[in-house]
Amino acid sequence: MKVEITVNGEKKIADVSPETTLLKMLRDEFDLTGAKLGCDVGDCGTCTVVVDGESVNSCLMLAARASGSEVLTIEGLATFQKLHPVQQKFEDLGALQCGYCGPGMIMSAKNLLDKNKSPSVDEIRDALAGNLCRCTGYTKMIEAIQEAAKEINTTNAL
Amino acid sequence: MRPLDYIAPKDAKEAVDLLLENSDSSCPLAGGTDLIVDLKHNPGNITMLVDVSCIEEFRGIKEIEEGLKIGSMVTFGEIMSSELCQKYIPAVIEGAHTVGAVQTRNLGTVGGNLVTCVPSADSAPSLMVLESIVTIIGTDGYKSMPIEDFFIGPRKTILKSHELLVNILIPKKNLSKPSKFLKHGLRKGQALALVNAAASMYLNKSDIISEPKIALGAVAPTPLRALKAEAFLEGKKYSEEVINEAAEIAVSEAKPIDDFRSSAKYRCDIIRTFTKRVLIQSADQAKQKN
Repeated sequence: MKVEITVNGEKKIADVSPETTLLKMLRDEFDLTGAKLGCDVGDCGTCTVVVDGESVNSCLMLAARASGSEVLTIEGLATFQKLHPVQQKFEDLGALQCGYCGPGMIMSAKNLLDKNKSPSVDEIRDALAGNLCRCTGYTKMIEAIQEAAKEINTTNAL
Repeated sequence: MRPLDYIAPKDAKEAVDLLLENSDSSCPLAGGTDLIVDLKHNPGNITMLVDVSCIEEFRGIKEIEEGLKIGSMVTFGEIMSSELCQKYIPAVIEGAHTVGAVQTRNLGTVGGNLVTCVPSADSAPSLMVLESIVTIIGTDGYKSMPIEDFFIGPRKTILKSHELLVNILIPKKNLSKPSKFLKHGLRKGQALALVNAAASMYLNKSDIISEPKIALGAVAPTPLRALKAEAFLEGKKYSEEVINEAAEIAVSEAKPIDDFRSSAKYRCDIIRTFTKRVLIQSADQAKQKN
């Protein structure tokens, strides 16, 4: 079946079988391999992408369901000149180790900051509850997200 | 996932017809957070998905003459950000907030949660203590019933294979009723409830309890109303002793099992504690309103 979606601002069309998940379509049809296949059951969150402004597990969403939607993936955050503030702060503070959870973690964090300009630690923990990291212990990620929030707010205020 | 057909019907009648014509092989798809996982690992005989998530009649949260109507395909994320839900049914938001995590709450629907009908469904207890009415559609048209009558057993509702849940109505008399939901899981996110509980009640100026309702999840084959505890509380003057006694009665009404998440004995301890807490917190709200 034909699926038309906008990915990172670009209109794309793919012909996929009906059981294809959004994650599989992004990776196999569009070569957007940022979102990862982890648990494949909606627990680990490394497949997280933003669909029409809401973060979802792309392993649990059929591509057909996303037809007509605007999808944002990790590839849509940075430009060649500049990382997104969340990405930059994750790098500055060493918030990732192996990095496998990173794309999902950063998309969840980005989506949180779009909705909540100055989240508390509890709010950040709540927003990251669906993203598992087995390396870090989360502390530096939470600091990085708070730092990113400060930077975004400062930039917006200028 | 093995090959599947996918159809997104335009309205409820078309969905019912499709499910009836393909009753051996089809299944309605809501948010998919349970069903897609099942299809990956244990697909059974399902070869056709009838996506009902975008059917207009199943969408939206509306204040109507009879109360607050929540479409079955409203997501938990939508419930949490709804001003109407925040104003009228905060205990339902508390339940929604304990489901999965942000990503699953943005996909998962309240109707899907109720139709999946696991005993631990986090949307059920709050809707039960607010005496919600569910409306279903089938070949004979629409039927409405109290939410308790919708649940038959573990993973079994009153729905026939071609029937669909249309909406959930919280009656007007229970909008803004003092109420509380609590869940005990092994962690805050992404955990099924060992026990969940909700209560609602009114207190008059002399602290006399009226219309107390208690619902418990993961303690019996279906979400359970603790009717004997409710009957005990009706008309009593609010006190610590009365709440403790009600909690003991609620424990005696539950039929928890031993499983890999928890022993039945531990569940009984949680039922006692959580019944007290939801009653006390409902009463605190009632006092503030007086």
